[in-house]
Amino acid sequence: MNKKYLIFFILIFSTHLTHAASGGQLKPVQIDLGNKASLQRGAQIFFNNCAGCHTLQYHRYSKFVGDLGISEDMIKSNLILTTSKGEKTKLGSTIVNAINHDSIKEGFGVVPPDLTLTARSRGPEWIYTFLTSFYEDNKRPMGVNNVLYPNVNMPHVLWYKEGLKEMDQNNILTVKVEGQLTQKEYEQEITDLVNFLTYVSEPAQLERYSLGLWVMLFLVIFAFITYLLKIEYWRDIK
Amino acid sequence: MSKFMAWIDERLPVSHFVKNHLSEYYAPKNFNFFYFFGSLALFVFIMQIITGIFLTINYKPDAASAFASVEYIMRDVEWGWLIRYMHSTGASFFFIIIYLHMLRALMYGSYKKPRELLWLFGMFIFVLLMAEAFMGYLLPWGQMSYWGAQVIISLFGAIPFVGESLALWIRGDYVISDATLNRFFAFHVIALPLLLFAVIYLHIAALHTVGSNNPDGVEIKQNKDKDGKPVDGIPFHPYYTVKDIFGLAVFLTIFMFVVFFLPEFGGFFLEKDNFVPADPLKTPEHIVPVWYFTPFYAILRAIPDKLGGVLAMGLAIFVLFLMPWLDRCKVKSIRYRSLTYKILLISFVISFIGLGYIGMKAPTPILTILGRLFTLVYFGFFVLLYLTSKNEKTKPVPERVTMYE
Repeated sequence: MNKKYLIFFILIFSTHLTHAASGGQLKPVQIDLGNKASLQRGAQIFFNNCAGCHTLQYHRYSKFVGDLGISEDMIKSNLILTTSKGEKTKLGSTIVNAINHDSIKEGFGVVPPDLTLTARSRGPEWIYTFLTSFYEDNKRPMGVNNVLYPNVNMPHVLWYKEGLKEMDQNNILTVKVEGQLTQKEYEQEITDLVNFLTYVSEPAQLERYSLGLWVMLFLVIFAFITYLLKIEYWRDIK
Repeated sequence: MSKFMAWIDERLPVSHFVKNHLSEYYAPKNFNFFYFFGSLALFVFIMQIITGIFLTINYKPDAASAFASVEYIMRDVEWGWLIRYMHSTGASFFFIIIYLHMLRALMYGSYKKPRELLWLFGMFIFVLLMAEAFMGYLLPWGQMSYWGAQVIISLFGAIPFVGESLALWIRGDYVISDATLNRFFAFHVIALPLLLFAVIYLHIAALHTVGSNNPDGVEIKQNKDKDGKPVDGIPFHPYYTVKDIFGLAVFLTIFMFVVFFLPEFGGFFLEKDNFVPADPLKTPEHIVPVWYFTPFYAILRAIPDKLGGVLAMGLAIFVLFLMPWLDRCKVKSIRYRSLTYKILLISFVISFIGLGYIGMKAPTPILTILGRLFTLVYFGFFVLLYLTSKNEKTKPVPERVTMYE
């Protein structure tokens, strides 16, 4: 299907974007589910940094083959990091992890939430803003705080990429310690990650828009033909 | 073929039925836009049943697995997402259609003699449909499903003496729980659809006994030709079957556009909070019913007293049943009625939409005042209609229906 149309419809009709306008302090993020490379990079970031604590428990590894174009071997060797009774988790399994709920609750105060539907419940902008709003706060147990979600229990996992920001008196964040990436590169990585999570939240979006165009085309023609039929039958009614 | 039909007809009156209800059932020839919604409502009802059956195949009515089973339908079931979006969008469109169908009756006086029973059956369908939608909304077992149901059922608790036990009896538990989910599932997929089917049958049977009203409010049966056919009537088939197919095609174009491109409809059809599994320990910030209940919810909130609010909400629905007797004007159609009625009906529609908007928002002082004002207008419609309709100054009603091209 024509990629431009796909992107166009995602941009125009994605209800996520309308949420951004009402969110106030949320930063906009460009979601482009037609960009497979971005989705793949997002998957890479997710499994390297997030999957240890967060699950995608309604989604299956095997979906990545058709949806993202990641090969089965690649998934088995790079994305599946868990085992069940010594046997590696199967390709058709849902994406869960091996954390112990009791001990992680002891360490972080909460069980890290499942992220399958976060892009639908909170919106992509929320995730994007959240992951770009960490700053140093030595009063917090993890040494960081978050502007969007004050006193959140999550540590700034991606600090090695972003570096560490600090907040000045005017509540503006500036970089204190440089990370591996520039701010622009970091924002791009987070965009890829949010793009990936948006796909995970509703994989049907990949086919929904392009299929919808064909359905619309059919129905408009069908409506036109039925209109002609109606006119023909009603010719003698005065 | 005719031999075959003769064989059948001796045993089952198929041809007779087709003649009576389609090819020789006469409908007024001057139906306008508002007359599409009856057949559309029937179509959506059937669509909800069919998509519902497919959903039931994979849905699990169990508090521990309901939410996950919906996501399973959305991801792993072939075309599951389409079926589910058709069902969820269908629920909202059902109400859009029904509200327009009811507005049509108010505009053209379709509840008046001899159509009082037709209107009452229609009102029963409306109430059953609200129950059906309310119970269906619990099934995805998201946060809004859970807390919406919690709030609405707790309203029964406001009824003196029996309230609390009644709420307990409905829930089957002290809070919304697995027991509630199971019984709501039973009601949603069997009990209420069966009842709906029966009342829709009666609604159509009553319609075919008295015949359709029309935008002029003229009884076409009072003006028949020498063969006994109404001069302003045309056979339902083929004239209205082809017209309704066209209406259906236009409807499907709009409907499918929403299904494919806007299934959440900006949070109106599928609320954001409902993508979080139900959590009895965590109340969402705003608990808002789905849009089609918000006008009545706003009336509930407009009354400062809980019991008073519940009564007002019940009355807001009940008073609609009385329309055939509250409206004492002999003229049916708004085309030939007084300016008073036009103003009353327009104010009623505005207040209904206004209440719908207010019911979605978190209460603020201004919205509360507006909500009370609109509630007053809502009930004022019925009171003033009763008072003014008896001696209403109407225009002369034509002998025959009028056609606009």
